Amino acid sequence: MTLDAALRATEILMALAFLQQSAEHLAGFRDERLIYGLRAILCALLLFGIASPWVLLALVLLGLLILQRFQGPYNGGSDKMSLLILCCLTAARWLPQEHWKEYAFAYLAGQLVICYFISGQVKIVKPEWRSGRALQDVFRFSAYPVSEGLRAFADQPRLLWAMGWAVMLFEVLFPLALFSRETLILALFTAALFHLANACLFGLNRFFWIWLAAYPSLLWLQERVIL
Amino acid sequence: MLSLLKLLLPALMPSWRFFKSVDPSPRVEWAMLASAASAPQSWREFRPRPQQLTPLAMLRRMLWNPRWNESLFLVSCAERLTLTPTEHSEQEILRRITAELQRSLPPGACLPYLQFRLVFLDRAEDGGLIKAITYQSEPHLMAGLAAP
Repeated sequence: MTLDAALRATEILMALAFLQQSAEHLAGFRDERLIYGLRAILCALLLFGIASPWVLLALVLLGLLILQRFQGPYNGGSDKMSLLILCCLTAARWLPQEHWKEYAFAYLAGQLVICYFISGQVKIVKPEWRSGRALQDVFRFSAYPVSEGLRAFADQPRLLWAMGWAVMLFEVLFPLALFSRETLILALFTAALFHLANACLFGLNRFFWIWLAAYPSLLWLQERVIL
Repeated sequence: MLSLLKLLLPALMPSWRFFKSVDPSPRVEWAMLASAASAPQSWREFRPRPQQLTPLAMLRRMLWNPRWNESLFLVSCAERLTLTPTEHSEQEILRRITAELQRSLPPGACLPYLQFRLVFLDRAEDGGLIKAITYQSEPHLMAGLAAP
């Protein structure tokens, strides 16, 4: 995959994810409708590749305005990933030399690997995660389960222990997937299923769409550096 | 400018420590009052989750989930309000409860004043759940709260 193709794939996936996020805000307050309406228009331009570098720059400025408006991310990690992808793409489109463009895009790929590894590492060192109790707590009293019925999972400790270990092992072993094309594609497919499960069980739909947008960067980096 | 940089840096250099620990979890509860001097008669949870959600509804929410994402934003505001209280967090909670009540209750059913409180749930030593009220707002006049 060439750098240009990977950048374009990321632009398209990010624009679609941003359109989904923006649509949800169009049902909100007037100030949000204005900000996200403008964001939706910019995303439509990006989707069709019209004046992409300028559109990306405008989206970064709008991203800063949104951060200011909500005094931080509106949707936690998904907003952070949105800004990270946007800033890396913008840098890659504006930096003058090819190798600087590559560094900017490789930073995104690196962060994607780190995000899975760190998420697993911080859990696996915790006794409550290793025993399965942490995942029981998530289902028992956290704000995330989308229905009261899902809280019944808290009474299935063996299932949650197995699920917790599956997630932790997948996350800490994720960097090993970089050593072949097949394992990376399998790992990204598994990761997407993991985000899909989080979206269904915990309502984290925005995470699913925006994480997908970061995957082309890793496919490109693997081909560029490792294979 | 410096405050904006402080908001941006965690996105450019994220910590990615998702679910490192399962901390006490906030619920927003509200009460309507006839006057600013009245005491709340009963507290109700803001936007309680449904008993069940069909697989089709879950799939639909993949594309359209504004209320749930707003509720997650209120969880963030509740955590911010408990750690470092700001007027912004309180106003966000008040205006979103007001908008929801005005949207969902029949005309004339709203009382003039609104008060909310934050209840944090945590696991007790014996495995049961414990609740702690960490914040209670003053009564606020609802008129104009939900304006942009």
